[in-house]
Amino acid sequence: MVTRPLSHERPGRPRSPPSKRRRAAGATPAERAQPLCRDLGLRAPVKKSKCPSCPRELPLQGDASGLSPPGSPEPAARLELQAFRDYGASWYRFRKGLEGKFHPREPLAQQPQVTAEARCKLISWLIPVHRHFGFSFESLCLAVNTLDRFLTTTPVAADCFQLLGVTSLFIACKQVEVHPPRVKQLLALCCDVFSRQQLCNLECIILSKLHFNLGAPTINFFLEHFTHMRMESCQADAREANNAKALAKGMAELSMADYAFNKYAPSLLAICSLGVADQMLHHQNPLDLHISGYPERVLQDCTDKLHLLVSLNGDSLPHVLPLEMS
Amino acid sequence: MKKFKRRLSLTLRGSQTIDESLSELAEQMTIEENSSKDNEPIVKNGRPPTSHSMHSFLHQYTGSFKKPPLRRPHSVIGGSLGSFMAMPRNGSRLDIVHENLKMGSDGESDQASGTSSDEVQSPTGVCLRNRIHRRISMEDLNKRLSLPADIRIPDGYLEKLQINSPPFDQPMSRRSRRASLSEIGFGKMETYIKLEKLGEGTYATVYKGRSKLTENLVALKEIRLEHEEGAPCTAIREVSLLKDLKHANIVTLHDIVHTDKSLTLVFEYLDKDLKQYMDDCGNIMSMHNVKLFLYQILRGLAYCHRRKVLHRDLKPQNLLINEKGELKLADFGLARAKSVPTKTYSNEVVTLWYRPPDVLLGSSEYSTQIDMWGVGCIFFEMASGRPLFPGSTVEDELHLIFRLLGTPSQETWPGISSNDEFRNYNFPKYKPQPLINHAPRLDSEGIELIAKFLQYESKKRVSAEEAMKHAYFRSLGTRVHALPESVSIFSLKEIQLQKDPGFRNSSYPETAHGKNRRQSMLF
Repeated sequence: MVTRPLSHERPGRPRSPPSKRRRAAGATPAERAQPLCRDLGLRAPVKKSKCPSCPRELPLQGDASGLSPPGSPEPAARLELQAFRDYGASWYRFRKGLEGKFHPREPLAQQPQVTAEARCKLISWLIPVHRHFGFSFESLCLAVNTLDRFLTTTPVAADCFQLLGVTSLFIACKQVEVHPPRVKQLLALCCDVFSRQQLCNLECIILSKLHFNLGAPTINFFLEHFTHMRMESCQADAREANNAKALAKGMAELSMADYAFNKYAPSLLAICSLGVADQMLHHQNPLDLHISGYPERVLQDCTDKLHLLVSLNGDSLPHVLPLEMS
Repeated sequence: MKKFKRRLSLTLRGSQTIDESLSELAEQMTIEENSSKDNEPIVKNGRPPTSHSMHSFLHQYTGSFKKPPLRRPHSVIGGSLGSFMAMPRNGSRLDIVHENLKMGSDGESDQASGTSSDEVQSPTGVCLRNRIHRRISMEDLNKRLSLPADIRIPDGYLEKLQINSPPFDQPMSRRSRRASLSEIGFGKMETYIKLEKLGEGTYATVYKGRSKLTENLVALKEIRLEHEEGAPCTAIREVSLLKDLKHANIVTLHDIVHTDKSLTLVFEYLDKDLKQYMDDCGNIMSMHNVKLFLYQILRGLAYCHRRKVLHRDLKPQNLLINEKGELKLADFGLARAKSVPTKTYSNEVVTLWYRPPDVLLGSSEYSTQIDMWGVGCIFFEMASGRPLFPGSTVEDELHLIFRLLGTPSQETWPGISSNDEFRNYNFPKYKPQPLINHAPRLDSEGIELIAKFLQYESKKRVSAEEAMKHAYFRSLGTRVHALPESVSIFSLKEIQLQKDPGFRNSSYPETAHGKNRRQSMLF
């Protein structure tokens, strides 16, 4: 099935200097590619026989980037926790305040051609794409938000929808990734149906339609925030907190593809995903969902929906889980 | 069976008419939009008859809940629409959208066209089928996306005029608001007069300019958008970040003018940067002014950090100062979420002088504390008149740091002994030196504060918020802590700039320095 190793280098793409960290992931490109193939074989959009795959060697941990490189003086988690102590409350207040402004409730209401099914497909495709490139969950969240908000401003033809998807991802990555993808790579993902100029042009249109308002508060941010709060509480169990976060992240990914969840704000989805994750993992010290400030009724409604989502996706949930949990 | 499939796929291709009608509708919408005042497309009643109503949409979608995994689009979509999107038979979840795009051009087309006849009636599917053998033309795309004739973004002033962005579901009100803003000249290049070029880089050119609206001086940063990789990351980051940052100690982005080929950012104009300020006073600043500047850096930085915005590239060249002594943080273009810049876009190496040792040693995990080391270096530079650690390479930089502050050990920096890079450098074991020897003009409180910035372990570094409360700033009084964000500290009568002892009484002609100082605005 796989005719090219996943780490195949495309000409003209500067190779990032190999790091020890990547080396350690697998001895040969083929070995490294193996787990990815398993993963991609299920959901990836690229037809490997035709479309050149990602040219960059990918760190296997994907977006489970909580791991520090070996020898790093300080683990990321501890450092982030210190910053959280200093500023966590105001980060939360600020993002929470912006949430309404950045929340497209019914992005498809005005769309003549794009359907919820198409949106689901596109996002179900973007999820493995972002994973494949090793992009962060934050990038994915931003991409989906950009996509949805653009849909509220502009009617999009069904056959441009995929281009809109990769362009949204492109913009999201330019904001937060160290190495944003190349236009060429994105076009290849769409099997070169679109041209470079079309993508760049669409990028400009999105930027101007959204007036460069791109920094939406994401589910990722709220998951981190509630997890930090939990770590800071007196009877904290770091392992439980991290596992719940990982599972909740998987659930959040699922919910993003599902149009029925568009009505829920990212902070609500984050807190409820953590709650459902705690239940599923039978945690001794589950997170108190009321720290989110949402009324019981609202929490219950979203939690019920998430339970349903999880029960419908029992077999695919393991695939969205970070490696350490699946 | 195969024949049957082929016939079906022919039927699909033959259904051009439906697609055409959809395109026509899209065109109609575009025309309607273009005739509207500010080209903001709004689909009113012009919805094609084939589209689903919101209700049926949701209804249909809720139906999908009963179907198995959402991950598998064929099941999500449920019934007819699912198979419509032509999932390959092998049941893999690959090629959802992609498959459609390439359909008919490879061996899988037979498989793909194995749809049942009732599905043909969906417009979506037909539309996807139809693009099998054609590339979408540019005009086509623009039409379909309803590209406005001219794109202008006037809402840089929304906040200024106390107008909050309307929620998404009220496009009408936003339309009218934006129209009125653009009528008075925001978002239009005609509103600004270019006076002189301040500098030029690969991606941008900076001009000094004047706004016809306010008669104020402005800095016009013109960013070219036509690049291989689309809009430069720096522009996207800088604009999206600065739009949300409104603070007396952060450079104000007044306006954004977006045209086809370029993006012009209109900033408030400030006379000089801290580097030039220090040069102009012969590197002997009044210690009182050092305190005022440091306080303003911290104030601006605390505001950023409270919003989880890290600067990551603090240096005197990025701190702009006006005649009143107001200091503002500038150049957020290199502030990415997960990286430290190593090179500017003109391929110049970013200075290492203000970079913390943990980052120099390869750590890529950090948070707000990354900026605090640089604050310490800048504080020292203002007080002593020379850069603290002017290293030319990473090794040189680390060497200078360790020579002054002592080579770290497992005791002074837990975890350092397992850092490969640190071990490989094999630095001599230096003992820490008293900082007061190098900055004799600093009082003991200043020395105490600087040591809190220059901590090896980043989590031990004092935060900007906390540093503002340090005893060193006690002489500024208490009112300074209670100022609203948008108010300058010089609005308080007890806070005044003093004459710098080394100040040369010149009217700052545009010297060679003048050219250099704008470099930082460019990249």
